[in-house]
Amino acid sequence: MIWHRSFTRNLIQVEIPVLLVLAFALAPFLWMLLTSIKPNADLSQFPLRYLPSSTTFEHYRTLIQRTSFPINLLNSLLIASGAVLLGLATSVPAAYSFSRFRFRGRRTLMTSFLVINMFPIVLLIIPLFVLMRALGLIDTFIGVIIGHSTFSIPFSIWMLVSYFNAIPRDLDEAAMIDGASRLQTIRLVVLPLVMPGIVTTAIYVFITSWNEYLFAMMLSGETVRPVTVALQLFIGEFTVQWGILTAGGTIIALPVTILFLFVQKRLVGGLTAGAVKS
Amino acid sequence: MASVQIADVRKAYGSTQVIHGVDIDIDDGEFVILVGPSGCGKSTLLRMIAGLENISGGEIRIGPKVVNDVPPKERDIAMVFQNYALYPHMTVADNMAFSMKLRKAPKAEIEERVTRAAQILGLANLLERYPRQLSGGQRQRVAMGRAIVRDPQVFLFDEPLSNLDAKLRVQMRTEIKELHQRLKTTTVYVTHDQIEAMTMADKIVVMHDGIVEQMGAPLDLYDNPNNLFVAGFIGSPAMNMLKGKITAAGFEAVNPKGGASLVWPIGKAPAGSEGREAVYGVRPEHVRLDPNGIKAEVVVIEPTGSETQVVVRCGGQELTCVFRERITAQPGESIGISPDTSVTHLFDAASGKRL
Repeated sequence: MIWHRSFTRNLIQVEIPVLLVLAFALAPFLWMLLTSIKPNADLSQFPLRYLPSSTTFEHYRTLIQRTSFPINLLNSLLIASGAVLLGLATSVPAAYSFSRFRFRGRRTLMTSFLVINMFPIVLLIIPLFVLMRALGLIDTFIGVIIGHSTFSIPFSIWMLVSYFNAIPRDLDEAAMIDGASRLQTIRLVVLPLVMPGIVTTAIYVFITSWNEYLFAMMLSGETVRPVTVALQLFIGEFTVQWGILTAGGTIIALPVTILFLFVQKRLVGGLTAGAVKS
Repeated sequence: MASVQIADVRKAYGSTQVIHGVDIDIDDGEFVILVGPSGCGKSTLLRMIAGLENISGGEIRIGPKVVNDVPPKERDIAMVFQNYALYPHMTVADNMAFSMKLRKAPKAEIEERVTRAAQILGLANLLERYPRQLSGGQRQRVAMGRAIVRDPQVFLFDEPLSNLDAKLRVQMRTEIKELHQRLKTTTVYVTHDQIEAMTMADKIVVMHDGIVEQMGAPLDLYDNPNNLFVAGFIGSPAMNMLKGKITAAGFEAVNPKGGASLVWPIGKAPAGSEGREAVYGVRPEHVRLDPNGIKAEVVVIEPTGSETQVVVRCGGQELTCVFRERITAQPGESIGISPDTSVTHLFDAASGKRL
């Protein structure tokens, strides 16, 4: 359908509302960024000072040189990478089977993966904590990674099944007739074609794990504390170290923003894959 | 190259049986076409030969070897799919070389075979392209090229031409037939298009509801259909069929409008068939213009140039006729027709079997 709108109507009905929503969503980030480069004097000033009087990177310097933040960053990186590796190692074969084989309990399993996502995480965390304590996995990388896998694996499987389904079965069959074994078919034909989907899923899992707070807080302690939990420690009982807090926030948001720019287009494509005949 | 023997093959999904004991012998080098309406089991049978479907009962042999439990990759077959199933991430050359690379054939041999197949199919200057950059006909040729390079015992084609436009289909039909004459590889070809079957096959197998209705040379099926199904399926336009009774005078057709019934001449009725309920079949091309024949009213005239297709009404029934002559009569006017009694058919009304 072709829709001719006048410029003013367009402005009032579309552009201004979108700008308002955008401003509402972006304002906290902008405020965080501005705060992180303000000198300490500006922070305590009253009435509020919006723009910094001069820019400074002292908070970033303090954060990196005087706190454990770099180690926390590394922890977060290890946990998120671990969640991606464990997630893909299990969900790629699982998604292939869901897509290609018809076995008893297939539907039930698929649905139960969806149902897991319907429970509030708070409900899950208590039994998981008890379980992890019994297994001695509290404050270990593997513990937090498994915690994150509880939501990343079901999600990855659903994502990947739709990517696998978009690849015609005829291709598998053609490869098998050409003389390929099942594993060769997967490796030489199916995986190369589903690779964009795998990359998208991997990035998505990475971002979710990187941003996750609740599991990380419950399952980690001193040794594997990730950035999201570490950041919270800058909020003391009597004082909040706003400069360091916002500097940390900015650093955390950076990789996520960059990664998300890569996948956003594909993510939408993946969710609607196969909806229309191409 | 090898023969293929299909002996009492059955296929069931749970309790629903879709193929009920099929026997087909395919000689070495023969071009056999499985034809039938959709849902008749022809594609399932082909996929069973390929090893893509399990065999629920019976036996399939390729050459001397029973292949029931042999996986597709060890059956030494090549298959051309309806949607071509080309690997989208490989070039034309890589698509064609895939099977040989899996077999770890020497590079020089792969290149030689791919080049030769490309020459046969006119793909030589497309080897570096990707499937998405090709037209439908070119993709079809690549799919065939992939099969040729494999140099298999048996070629399997699953409705390979149904995604092509009419003109290209006729052209590819000729190409596939030429290819078979050149390579002489045993071929099993599935189609729902009886014209494809008639023009290409050495032997046609007509399937319907999971059984073989009739099997034989194309013209044999055309001249001597075993039953009503085959009679109606083979030939275009389809055979005219009239219900009625065999009498001493000929065939007395039922007039569905309730008027006087017409008596059609028959060559010689089979002994003892007088008084039997039957179906009278005459092909449109076997009806002649005859001023002294049966009076019929012209309903529709469709001239194609070389011949004229006319729908007429007589005895309360409509018949399709194809005349070599040009017709001057107008719709509503009356013409005289008579069937060529040497090629009329009679079928039992109850069983549909040929009398």
